[in-house]
Amino acid sequence: MSTVSLFDPAGPRAKRRHLLLEVITGLVVLAGVYVVFKLLYDKGELSAAAWAPFAEPGLWALLGQGLWNNIAAALVGMVLSLITGCLLAFGLVSTRTLIRRICRVYTDVFSSIPLLLLLYFTSLVLPNYGFKLGDFWFLVIALTLYSGAVIGDLLRSGILALPPGQAEASLALGFSHVGTLRLVLLPQALRSMSPALVSQLIILFKGTALAFVLGGYMELLRSATVIGQYYTRSLLQAQFVAALGFLIVNIALGALAVALERRQNRLTVREPLPATAADPAPEPAHR
Amino acid sequence: MSFLINHLGDFGQGVLVTLGLVLLGATGSMILGTVLAALRTSPIRTARAVSSAYVLIFRNVPLPVQMVLFVFGLPVLGIQYSLYASAAIVLVLYTAPFVAETLRSGLNTVDRGELEAGRALGFGPMGSLRLIVLPQAFATVVRPLGNVFITMVKNTSVAALVGVAELTFLSDKIAVDEAQPFIVFGGAAICYLAIGLAIGRLVSAVDQKVAFSR
Repeated sequence: MSTVSLFDPAGPRAKRRHLLLEVITGLVVLAGVYVVFKLLYDKGELSAAAWAPFAEPGLWALLGQGLWNNIAAALVGMVLSLITGCLLAFGLVSTRTLIRRICRVYTDVFSSIPLLLLLYFTSLVLPNYGFKLGDFWFLVIALTLYSGAVIGDLLRSGILALPPGQAEASLALGFSHVGTLRLVLLPQALRSMSPALVSQLIILFKGTALAFVLGGYMELLRSATVIGQYYTRSLLQAQFVAALGFLIVNIALGALAVALERRQNRLTVREPLPATAADPAPEPAHR
Repeated sequence: MSFLINHLGDFGQGVLVTLGLVLLGATGSMILGTVLAALRTSPIRTARAVSSAYVLIFRNVPLPVQMVLFVFGLPVLGIQYSLYASAAIVLVLYTAPFVAETLRSGLNTVDRGELEAGRALGFGPMGSLRLIVLPQAFATVVRPLGNVFITMVKNTSVAALVGVAELTFLSDKIAVDEAQPFIVFGGAAICYLAIGLAIGRLVSAVDQKVAFSR
């Protein structure tokens, strides 16, 4: 998103003032960097000893395994929540009031409960009912319960945003209601909502770090903590590397979402709508 | 049912701690987010770069990671606060970029012609910002900002990761103690729903108040 300039182009005096401010901000930033560097240096966090464990390939294998566990949980969770999301979206646009109500309650409830609460719930309750699953599945089920609700709502708004002619034409051609949804409306909704779906994947990926509480599941944050327990000198370094891993994956996914959005804007030819009829586009949930 | 009465106090305590985190988080992230948005739209290039870098980093590192790093990592450097304060600080650090981005998108909705008109009518740069641009910008972002804060309510639960005795943490503890997970977690879920609904109502009310420009 480009930022509209709130100011007039600067004249000579304003230019001088901006240069001065530029220099001052630069100095402040440099001072801040120096303070952080000094602190790290004085505590020996930048010394070779603190980083020595990172020369071992086994440690990187542990971290890599951790990151992979995060990605795997997010991907499996995404697939499952896409499936539940599609089913929910069908329910949310259903012509039967009862089905619509039930699905609405489900989406509203599960999209406003914290993921961590769901994770505690699955990991405590499921084993009591004979589901002896691993921590991986507790995490994935919690992610699916939450994210399925969000995706269901996203797809609903995607379906409702389609021109009504799509459904009418499909029904006129003899498709059943389910067939219309499955073959005509849903594919278009999935496509138009793809940037928001990638944003949801980012949320899922961030959520996988919550598996830290399970203790037994070696995701990246837990791996870093384990490394910190073995090499007490390198706790901060391990956590820093872990944060970097999350950062890189998320930035890549974010770039993908932006690219998809660009493509979308290029592909869709918008009919000019009267200003009053234009619904505000649903906010992509990006957090 | 007796266990419910025994733990009602604990539960109330948890709700209060969660509400406290919500309040601190909302206030702090509003302030920091406004500063970030101001830096982002300023004509100073360095300030813009600082703001973008902050947003990029703190938005993309997951909240649990920031929380654990802050609470278990930074004491190595001698930086240590109480658990509650740490949780609030991390919540602010994490939420501020979302607030900043929302505010910025609000500023972007203000038409450039408004500025030019203000200029033609003799408003100075600060006057037009204060009287023409910002009121319109804030009016358009009330709802999105409300969504940011509703998400933040859910994010307060991450404080349980480091042992802050808020609603999620206490429900887990009570559920383990009493082996009644359905009732306890159900109760906690209802509390979160109620907080979310209350904020939603508040946001709608404010939105109606400021909806002069549409």
